[in-house]
Amino acid sequence: MNKQTKVWLVLSIALSLLAVGSSCGGNKNENAGGNTNATAGAGPYSGPTGTISGVISFEGTPPAPKKIDTAADPVCGQKNPNLMTDDTVVKDGKLANVFVYVKEGTVDGGKKLADYSWEPPTTPLKLDQNGCHYVPHVMGVMVNQKIQITNSDATQHNIHWTPKNNPEWNQSQPNGAPPIEKTFGRAEVLVPVKCNQHPWMRSYIGVLKHPLFDVSKDTGAYEIKGVPPGKYTVVAWREGGVPEKTMEVTVTANGAAKADFSFGAATTSNAPSSLQMMPAIEFPMLGKH
Amino acid sequence: MNRGLNRFAILVACATFFLIIAGALVTSHDAGLATSDWPLSNGQVFPKMVGNLFWEHGHRMVATTVGMLTIVLMIYILVKEKRSWVRKLGIFALLAVIAQGLLGGLTVKLMLPLWVSSAHATLAQLFFCTTVSLAIFTSRSWIEARPIEEEKEGPPLRYLCTAALVTIFLQLILGATLRHSATWDQKPPIELILAHIGGAFAVTLILGGTGLTVLRRHKGEKFLTRPAMIALSLLVVQLFLGVAAYMTRLASPKDPQPLNPMVGITVAHVACGALVFVSTIVLTLRTYRVLPATNEHSTWAARPQES
Repeated sequence: MNKQTKVWLVLSIALSLLAVGSSCGGNKNENAGGNTNATAGAGPYSGPTGTISGVISFEGTPPAPKKIDTAADPVCGQKNPNLMTDDTVVKDGKLANVFVYVKEGTVDGGKKLADYSWEPPTTPLKLDQNGCHYVPHVMGVMVNQKIQITNSDATQHNIHWTPKNNPEWNQSQPNGAPPIEKTFGRAEVLVPVKCNQHPWMRSYIGVLKHPLFDVSKDTGAYEIKGVPPGKYTVVAWREGGVPEKTMEVTVTANGAAKADFSFGAATTSNAPSSLQMMPAIEFPMLGKH
Repeated sequence: MNRGLNRFAILVACATFFLIIAGALVTSHDAGLATSDWPLSNGQVFPKMVGNLFWEHGHRMVATTVGMLTIVLMIYILVKEKRSWVRKLGIFALLAVIAQGLLGGLTVKLMLPLWVSSAHATLAQLFFCTTVSLAIFTSRSWIEARPIEEEKEGPPLRYLCTAALVTIFLQLILGATLRHSATWDQKPPIELILAHIGGAFAVTLILGGTGLTVLRRHKGEKFLTRPAMIALSLLVVQLFLGVAAYMTRLASPKDPQPLNPMVGITVAHVACGALVFVSTIVLTLRTYRVLPATNEHSTWAARPQES
């Protein structure tokens, strides 16, 4: 092998290794909120409670729902011929499907909210696959609370959730199959759920150690009951990578605290993609810039 | 030389290319976990092929067919082929397709961990490389090739081609890792995008230089210029497909589902990448066949081979 050959080989291998090496930088996935992995110390809370309620507004013109093409599975089209995206459901300026929860705070008397423990309800929450669509679209459960997953469609689905703190899970559920019951062992806000058979199907499950959460209705209203008196950080989360909104709230015994949130059209679409900076990098290769 | 064996090897190579396309369709549709079991789909050998199960189970059916074809090819080679290294390559092809099937099963059972999915996509390219090589080694043009004199200026072509091949293979690994690092509704990691673009520059530089060198040094020698021309043409197409794939993939997280433009273009990008790889393999193998190892004449290059 002569000198020029060696130079060529070294150059090509070095370029390739450089390319591979640059890809090895950390891709940190941040957990989306939900600082609820606290240690229990004070046991269950007993005493007077209050409520936190409010309305989620949407400012600006909401994006029009997009039609979903269900041709790949005729059963979906027959049962739900006008299936549309439901990531932004706005009615009279009010936004549905916003997950509102108490993130952290101090209960009157000085103890942290995380010091208290709550037993999960024994009644399972239902997540149905109906019309090739998850019902509900957003839901909240407590850690170790059962989720009963049903298939009301005459076609097969698979339920695939992709959490960061809990184990990933995927299971097929053919039509006629019995309900599946699952739980989450750790708090996480929020766990995405999808069906790989019907890739438009999305749902989100907020998992918390306490029951202090709610999901906004079609009217935009939500209400969190049973909140011990104290000062809290309340968070409103909505899908699409939109930055969550927070608010400090004081709850009094038997009182009703208000916490209204507002999301805007500017934050409706997916969060700014890291790709959006790319045209300036890639286009010079084509000589366009 | 056995014409039937060569035709069958070409058939297996074509089927493998079709399998790569089928696999790419699974990835672009995010259909890899459309069923949670393997090797059966929803507990059935022939499930109802609706939704994304059409892509996932279809991929499994094509893969099974390629696996069977590879078994037949290996037997065919063992019966008809006298060259021991070709016989060994036939056995290797079977082992590779078995390993590929098991990796495919692991992708389902382990729920698409990045390293398994990337290894599955990379081994697919290596298996394609193997079947194409078998088609080349059993061809008349390979067996009857005669030595070609190389200019004494510059580095030997065989090394340039090898460098291009290694670079393309690393780029394929990067591409496979990029594709499997995020589904259609997620943002791909920017580090991988930059690395893949860097790889595209490296491939363009090295394969472009190699191809042009072949055309300059061996004008009229179709045995070498034809694969060089094909590789260069495919490289140009691949660069445009890469930009188009990037543009459609940029928009896909805002779509309600994987849409045909994104699926079609990204799959075409994968398929064209595989073709760039194998056309460079053809060029490389042919340079090793007919050109001397160094600028000094080699004693072993292009010896007539027994068929």
